[in-house]
Amino acid sequence: MTAHTFAQIQAVIARWYSIPLLLLVWQIAIASGLVESRLLPSPEKVWSALVTETANGMLIYHAGVTVSRALAGFLLAALVGIPFAGAMARSALVRNLFEPIFFIGYPVPKIALFPVFTYIFGIGTPSKIAFTFLECLYPIVVTCYFGFRGVETRLIWSAQNCGAPRSTVLRRVILPAAMPSIFSGLRVALPVSIIVVVITEMIGDSIGLGYYITIWSTRFTFANVYAAIIVIGICGLLLDQALLLLRRHAVYWQREEA
Amino acid sequence: MRINSASVQNWILPVATLVAWEILGRAGLLPRYLSTPSAILLALWELALTGELFVALAASLYRVSVGFVLGTAAGIVVGLGAGILPGVRHFFDPLVSFLYSIPKIAFLPIFLLLFGLGHASKIAIIAFSCFFPVFVASRHAVLSVNQLLIWAARNMGTPSQTIFFRVVIPAAAPQLFAGIRIALAHAFVLLFAAELIGSKAGLGTIISYGEEWVRFDLMFAGIVCFAVLGFLSDRMLLAIRSRLLKGQMIGTEEQVVR
Repeated sequence: MTAHTFAQIQAVIARWYSIPLLLLVWQIAIASGLVESRLLPSPEKVWSALVTETANGMLIYHAGVTVSRALAGFLLAALVGIPFAGAMARSALVRNLFEPIFFIGYPVPKIALFPVFTYIFGIGTPSKIAFTFLECLYPIVVTCYFGFRGVETRLIWSAQNCGAPRSTVLRRVILPAAMPSIFSGLRVALPVSIIVVVITEMIGDSIGLGYYITIWSTRFTFANVYAAIIVIGICGLLLDQALLLLRRHAVYWQREEA
Repeated sequence: MRINSASVQNWILPVATLVAWEILGRAGLLPRYLSTPSAILLALWELALTGELFVALAASLYRVSVGFVLGTAAGIVVGLGAGILPGVRHFFDPLVSFLYSIPKIAFLPIFLLLFGLGHASKIAIIAFSCFFPVFVASRHAVLSVNQLLIWAARNMGTPSQTIFFRVVIPAAAPQLFAGIRIALAHAFVLLFAAELIGSKAGLGTIISYGEEWVRFDLMFAGIVCFAVLGFLSDRMLLAIRSRLLKGQMIGTEEQVVR
């Protein structure tokens, strides 16, 4: 029993030792004066910045702004992209019209269009949401398109053979069969939405975590910058876990890939 | 010679958009910040004549290629190491899973302060950002190599070096390339953001000068160059991959998206 627990503890240490080790090295490097502590504040200072800035609500406010923008763009892209991908998979006309836009446009770095978006939608929230929508739309449409195309015709035929009307075929056969691909498209798009919002906030805004990072780095208070980076990481992690939870309910017959 | 209706439909939307843009722009119906396609071409020609275009292209290309190659190489080496040696894997896994969900652009202010406004900070942040997708892909690729192949080779007395180069690497290559392709996309996003936020040369600078001088044709010329650069480099990567992985791509989604 004790040998077993000991082995378990040892396994946990073997798997997770690197983060505390690096934190320790970081702390020692600063304490010994090897590293400029203004540029690389000690873990202790980052932690206290994280606590005070969370307690006074600044980090929570800016994180709320960033996450709500990211989610708005992401959800819009999902609402438009999934039916659109279905239409592309079903109708040859829609496919031929939009295939070049999505497949040739896929590798084009769309971030370059952001300055144009700021002229059309202004510098605040609307341009961020519109741009996040565009960036999320591509992975969602492309992945879902292959999902809808991959639905076996056999299944649709047998449903039709049993006299199922078109709406039932769509709801009970096509949608469930495409569901795993829909979720993998959403899972690609979700981190993209956070990245895009942070980048565009860094380029120009007065609220949001991207702005928070820029403003505190110009004030040389890097403890706050690291605290904001940690908050971004936590937000991304939580959103991803939420999506996985949703997937577990929607695609209960298939386990997610690690 | 019969005109294929599908390929005609492929061209309808892009051509119609450009023509409508040009006509509406000439008629003065569009806002001033949307310069017409012909004006953008003229601006490109003007930039090419003065040689500014090539200076900017050289700076951007240098940054993105060096950063991408450094980050990808490090990702491949460490990722393969993590796939093969449990010790390396246990050291890097917690770190990567923590840093992976953070948009690397958030570290830009720190990199700018560490490496200055010149090439070095862009190269460093691009390399940093390219490392993660390549690391994850190559680590996962090595771990998912079919164990039977390795056993079969070992059974015939193959030395472990040969197993690595002739069995593990070829079997892992398709997944590796998927990671490298994501890294390439990241590289261009980071390049754009880094050049727009803090830089003195490059395509991003042409875009921001165009905004400052209210020369929207110049801004669009920069955007077009950036998009074409990203697109072409993705095509080059795909061409290299289809040469190296002859016969391994049949029936995969990537074969269709091109």
